[in-house]
Amino acid sequence: MPACPPASDLQLYLRDWRGWLPGSAVTDNERIDVSDQPAANHIPAMLRRRLTPLGRAVCGMLHALGSEAEGIPILHASRHGDGHRPLDMLDTIATGDGVSPARFSLSVHNAIVGVHSIASGHHAPMAAIAATGDEFAALLEESLGYLADGQPEVIAVFSDSPLPTRYRAADIAPETPAAVALRFSSRQGRRLHERPLDHAAAAETITPPRVIDWLCRERSRLTTARPPCCWTLEAPLRGMQH
Amino acid sequence: MAETAQTPLERSLAEMIIETLELEDIATDDIDPEAPLFGEGLGLDSIDALELGLALQKHHGIRLDSDSEDNRTHFASLRNLAALVEARRAT
Repeated sequence: MPACPPASDLQLYLRDWRGWLPGSAVTDNERIDVSDQPAANHIPAMLRRRLTPLGRAVCGMLHALGSEAEGIPILHASRHGDGHRPLDMLDTIATGDGVSPARFSLSVHNAIVGVHSIASGHHAPMAAIAATGDEFAALLEESLGYLADGQPEVIAVFSDSPLPTRYRAADIAPETPAAVALRFSSRQGRRLHERPLDHAAAAETITPPRVIDWLCRERSRLTTARPPCCWTLEAPLRGMQH
Repeated sequence: MAETAQTPLERSLAEMIIETLELEDIATDDIDPEAPLFGEGLGLDSIDALELGLALQKHHGIRLDSDSEDNRTHFASLRNLAALVEARRAT
């Protein structure tokens, strides 16, 4: 990964965001959906049936942020993808049963943005990222890349979901799924400030709920390990609820 | 509500289709035995066809040859699917 900061004068500005924290009882922020089964009513039922709650949440957030209405490129970073699906297929193979074609078709890492693209006729560039725990830093780098490539805005989605218990080593998987979507611009919104981190060891594992806390100003900074950086977010303009 | 009444086998296959394909907002009675399952009728797609093939194998022990021209006929409607199950039971 390149050294921090990326070799560019570009800056990231946050225009808007949405979060999904199923079951959370502590938020009344209108940008955060706490439902266990997001509606995603804009997706036709015949496509929606194949989406997990996480998939529905991501598609709902992309729709709310104007991805298809405004043709904005999408990045989706996730360490474990859509949770159980690919791993459950391994169990099925191990027991000698046939693998579900529908589940197989949606077990790839870019399945959710693929369904979003099909359902909404949204044909802007889309990419899926896995970065072994460094997803948030990778998302910011990729977002800067899209902006450097001339895109005025990009929507960066970060999600994670639980794994089957036997795969849940140490702290690599969450207990519940969660997701956050950030609409970045190259010039409008709240600026993200980055500064090199003195001690890479001080970096933390950044999860979607932690990003949501940061967006809600319940934590002042996020620290990434690769590259070792500290990220702070400009305060919202007065009168704007962020 | 289907325009033509379902036989018990058709009803059981309709239940299998809804459960296997995770169809939302569709009840067993909604599947007309004579209406097309794919495209214009129920609106199933090619992945559903593969999924149904797997379900027929699992629940009824029916193995379909993926290259067979007859598959189009077997999967045309609930009634044809029931006829396939009946025919394979008899053999």
